[in-house]
Amino acid sequence: MQYALAQQSYSPDLVDQQQTGIVLLDHAGTVLFANSAAETLLLGQGCQNHPLAAALEGAERLGLLHPHSSGRILAAVAGDRELQFRRRDEHTLRLTMGPGLGGTRLLEIADVSKVVETILSQSLDPLTGLANRVGLLAQLAMDYAPGQEPTGALLYIDIDRFKGVNDTLGHPVGDRLLKLVAERMANVISADDMLVRLGGDEFAILLKASAIVPAAEALARRLVDLLGRPYLVAGHMIHIGASVGIALASGDGQTPEDLIRSADLALFNAKSEGRGTFRFFNPSMADALQQRRALEIDMRRALALKEFSLVYQAQYAADRSRLVGFEALLRWNHETRGAVSPAEFIPLAEEIGLMTTLGEWVLRTACMEAAKWPKGMSVAVNISPVQFRSTALVAVVASALAASGLPPEQLELEITEGALLNNTAQVMDIFTQLKALGVRFAMDDFGTGYSSLSYLQKFPFDKIKIDQSFVRTMPDSHDSAAIVRAISALGTSLGMTTVAEGVETEDQLMRVARDGCMHVQGYLTGRPVTADLATQLALATIGEEND
Amino acid sequence: MTDYRLVYYSANRLNGTAEQKEADIDTILARSRRNNDSVGVTGALTFSDGYFAQVLEGPQGAVEVTFERIQQDGRHSDVHLLEFVPIADRTFSNWSMAYVGKAVEGSKLAGLGATTGFDPAKISGQQLFERLRDLLLAEQAVA
Repeated sequence: MQYALAQQSYSPDLVDQQQTGIVLLDHAGTVLFANSAAETLLLGQGCQNHPLAAALEGAERLGLLHPHSSGRILAAVAGDRELQFRRRDEHTLRLTMGPGLGGTRLLEIADVSKVVETILSQSLDPLTGLANRVGLLAQLAMDYAPGQEPTGALLYIDIDRFKGVNDTLGHPVGDRLLKLVAERMANVISADDMLVRLGGDEFAILLKASAIVPAAEALARRLVDLLGRPYLVAGHMIHIGASVGIALASGDGQTPEDLIRSADLALFNAKSEGRGTFRFFNPSMADALQQRRALEIDMRRALALKEFSLVYQAQYAADRSRLVGFEALLRWNHETRGAVSPAEFIPLAEEIGLMTTLGEWVLRTACMEAAKWPKGMSVAVNISPVQFRSTALVAVVASALAASGLPPEQLELEITEGALLNNTAQVMDIFTQLKALGVRFAMDDFGTGYSSLSYLQKFPFDKIKIDQSFVRTMPDSHDSAAIVRAISALGTSLGMTTVAEGVETEDQLMRVARDGCMHVQGYLTGRPVTADLATQLALATIGEEND
Repeated sequence: MTDYRLVYYSANRLNGTAEQKEADIDTILARSRRNNDSVGVTGALTFSDGYFAQVLEGPQGAVEVTFERIQQDGRHSDVHLLEFVPIADRTFSNWSMAYVGKAVEGSKLAGLGATTGFDPAKISGQQLFERLRDLLLAEQAVA
């Protein structure tokens, strides 16, 4: 790192002026005068009237200087260049040349070891001892110095699921884990490469290799494998992963800042494509990010512009004898984009922190609508895992019920297993409080994720929704049919209602009914309709029953 | 201090002829015995077509450090940690690293997978541990 220091300006208080060595040289390089500091720092006693070269070679022979140092020093002096180097005792000296009186030249020698230490300590991460962002920037500044041809690759590495470790096992365990992560990385890079902790769970590697593309790819692959292997810390088994973004110094960045931005964008892409993988930067990533930002801006405005709406899909008893309720589904119709798919905007809303606000709007709107429906007809509202993480949800639900006058038992909250995965004590608490309000719970998309039976046992759900993938493949797949049968039986024995989603044909309807599923939802029995139509349908149903 | 037991299996990246692999395993065992001796870790290792399976027993910190060294070893890939639990007694307390496989000598490298019925996709930590223990007992009976 010491070569980076030529770039830094020194604060005078760190260089002892009294200890600055002064040497006067004539045009032939003979020492005309040397103060005692110069003798102590570099030249040794009795150098006066001798060539500088002789004094330096003497210092080399005595072991004060590294071999071959004298040549470098003489070249710098001859070329009037500033030079910084280390003595063998690790002291760092800085030589500066200037004109002296009467055609002589003045050589100043300063011991800048303290400066070096200070700067080094500013550019090191205290936890891992690795270089930090300051250190990376200093190195990149040199790679990109005028006249340099930057080579190599910058890899940005992000640890997936690290926050969960800190949250559940505490910071001391998190810190020890980060050290192991750093150690694993340090063991697979070579001495020419630079490993950096950027902060938190973000690392970087500045890779120097001749065939840089295959080398970077091989390293990224290795890192994803190595960092994704289980860890043992303080008696805990810990599973994390790593995502890697790669930018090439030769093409993906005109400046250090550009290169960093490119590596960061590539990392962002790796993460959004499922994590545990790596991506090379390409310019379209910048476009994609631009589009995402535009979508984000539009979405933030959409709430105010009332571009969001709810549609309602009917749920029937499996023998179609009775309409039992509706699932409220969120739609976004943008003035120029048209209909934006929830699959596109919901993850973004979750990521940018808009889901809580959006989710609250959905809850209030659905409750208001359902309050117009006959007694006993339920409305199902999807709750995102993000919403389920905050106890604020309980107050929002209570308030939505109170404002609309909807009886709590007619509100059904649909959550996926994903909502229950983390932080179980708090999640259990939220679940229990909501149950206490009297609302019902449906487990959404059952059968696709973990399908954990212990969740069903631990959380008293009222309803299980069988994922549409099973229903859709039912006529052809024995496995799907068996799964539908098994879940239906499970629901019956646990006292939970089962709903088959995605029923599109008479054949599927017949099969799910035969296999014991109690309710159905799908295009066959009803596509999503507007609030007005849903309300008409709900009221008409009562009419039929009274006939 | 409570001892811990760790059970894992991994895909191995040993290449070469049967003799070379055997030599590689001898090297691994020798180093593992030396390392384990110094930190009070005991255990058992087996090797079948493409897989290592290993049980480590010892003080928590020593098992953790040993496991981390294994994790960073390029000859393993796809490491699956099956179990890491406190135990009352060690099972392999007499072996710094027992090599399970002698009982099935002859098919030692080629057929252990079939012989032991080792199917990594299905096995649990407890099952793998029990299998290694039983194989070791069988070997002692043979010896």
